Order: sequence, then C-alpha cells, then structure tokens
Amino acid sequence: MTPNDVRGDRSARNGVALAAALAMRGIECALEVRGALALLLPKPEGVAALQVDENRRAVLALAKEHGFTHVAIELPSERRRSSTPPPDAPVLRD
Amino acid sequence: MAPNLDAVSEAELAAKTGALAAWLRANAPVAIGYSGGVDSAYLAVTARQTLGADGALAIIGRSASYPAEQWQTARDVAQRFDVTVLELDTAELDDPRYAANPSNRCYYCKTELWSRLVPVARARGFATVIDGTNADDLRDYRPGAQAAREHRVASPLAELGFTKLHIRHASRALGIPTWEQPSSPCLSSRLPYGTEVTRGRLRQIELAEAALRRLGIAGDLRVRFHDDLARVELAPAELSTWLAPERMAVLTEAVLEAGFARVALDLRGFRSGSLNVLHGVSAA
Repeated sequence: MTPNDVRGDRSARNGVALAAALAMRGIECALEVRGALALLLPKPEGVAALQVDENRRAVLALAKEHGFTHVAIELPSERRRSSTPPPDAPVLRD
Repeated sequence: MAPNLDAVSEAELAAKTGALAAWLRANAPVAIGYSGGVDSAYLAVTARQTLGADGALAIIGRSASYPAEQWQTARDVAQRFDVTVLELDTAELDDPRYAANPSNRCYYCKTELWSRLVPVARARGFATVIDGTNADDLRDYRPGAQAAREHRVASPLAELGFTKLHIRHASRALGIPTWEQPSSPCLSSRLPYGTEVTRGRLRQIELAEAALRRLGIAGDLRVRFHDDLARVELAPAELSTWLAPERMAVLTEAVLEAGFARVALDLRGFRSGSLNVLHGVSAA
C-alpha cells in the first residue's frame, strides 16, 4: 500500500500506517478506509493468519491504536474475481 | 451461545417476578407492544398468566423493518401461551424524517407505532399500554423511549429493574422459547445513520441474515449495510470457524445472493450498537 492508495485525510494516513504495522506483523494486505472502518483485503495467507484468535486480537489492537473503531476483512469471492482488482492494487475509495 | 444465567439468584428472581405480577394487577388490563423479542415475549406471557385472557392484549406493529422470522416467532409464542394478539400495520418508512435515518430515527418509528397502537388499545378498554424496555436499555442510546413517554407507555420491566439476564432467566423458567434467542432490534438498525432506509435495503438485509441463519448461525448476527458492502458481525466465538476457507466461501455466497456486491467479516464480532460506535454516537 502506498500513500496514493487512499485519499489524503487523517483517516487515510492512519490507514497507511495501519497497513504498514500489519505488514510488520506478517499480515500483508491492501486496506480500504471507510471512515472509522478499516477494511482489510488480505492475501490468502493473511486470511489464514486471521483464523487465529491471537492474531485477530493483535489486528484489533493495532487498528485501535491507529484510530479505527472497526476492522473487517473482505471475503474473497469467485463471483467478484473478474471485476475486482488484485489485493495489492491501489484502493481509491475512502 | 446460550447466556450464562448463573449470575441471577432464584431469590432475586422470585422477588422481581412477584413485583411484576403485583404491578400488572395494579394496572390491569394491559396492552403490550409486542414484537416476539425476548423482552416483549416475556412480558406478554407473564401478563397473560397473571391477568387471564381478557386482561392482556399483545399488539404487533408490522412493517418492512420488522423481520418476517421474528413475526413468526411472535405468533408462535402467542399461540403456545394462549396470548390474544392484534396485528396492525405501521408506516414509518412513509415518514421522510424516519427514512432519512437520523440518529433519532427510533423516535419517529416509535411515534408511528404508539400513535397507532395506543388509541386502538384504549378503544378496546386497555387503559394501560406497556412495552418491553428493560433496565439495560436505559443505559444505551434509545431515542424511542421519548416517544413512549409522550404516549404514556409504561415500561414495567425497566421500572422494576429487570435486566436482560433476569428476563432470560424468568423466560426459561416459564418455558418461553425466546429465553435464549439473540436480541433482535429492527432491520433499520443495520443501516448507518444518514443512509436512507428503503424497503429494498431492508429486504436485502433480511434476506442475507435469513440465509446465514439457514447456514446454522444461531447466535448473535448482524448484516450491517455499507452501500455495496455487507459487513457481517458474528459472535466472537464463531469467527475462527467462519474464516476457514470452505465455510467462508459458503457465507460469502449466501450474502452475495441477497444482492450485496461485496462481503466483509467484522474481526471483533458482534457488538450491540456497533453503528453507533462507528459514527461516534456512543463510545467504542
């Protein structure tokens, strides 16, 4: 994720910082900021990591540190695959 | 997940149920705003058992924000416990102040409900109209309570200090099947404030939640509406299960089938008033 991945308000900057913090913990993902909701778009190995309670708790704690009240993971879908950018593509919504 | 009722002592419960019976006798006959949720089901059954068939009337307000599944529960409970039921249609979605979905949306909904229900109840000789508001509700942001006060609707459960746990415990003792039913606020509570409430959106949410119930999710569940995205909240204990690839795919397809373009699973899981927190109406 780069600073251009999200529009430039404080939430977006928090999103960039959160994505970096998650990557340091081994959870690589694109991140879409929707106000106080951080929407994670992880790679498959990131999804597997989130099955572990301890990892989810860590993600929630990091998200809170970065100003998010909610964190959700987008679930991959075959139906959307053709129209969805890959997980590491820039994310333009906020 | 079944609630842990051990925290409530039998003596405490006996005192509360005794006080409720006395309250009902002192205010009989009563009409109950009845949804088939945990609280109003307990209140309707208790009123029926305390006051007899002529002493209690349960009134259901039906609208697009009232899930069909809950309507069925309401009718099943009433039939099983021989509670007299009257059904009215309400039209809160036709009120633009409600449809605009402000943070006090519940005020307009309850105003519509009570302005239809109270006159009908009084015309049938039920001077006292009551609802299932409980003591826990008083600590939450509940703009609908103001409408109840304006229409002189009483809340004996709250007045007598019944918490949700007391109500579940007492319901179980009476054999009311709703005792372990998750809390079930109206479907509009799944839309963030400021997002217009429409029949189509409510239907979409209802279909998605019903599909997830059919997959076996029995505990707390909300499908939160974020335009194209459905954010699913499950009981935290269920999260690991539904993040397994094969289960995740089934869940995703079920929600997409309801008309959402994208599906997300909330990593904290269900929390009551989640959208209030997201939009800063209440603390995280």
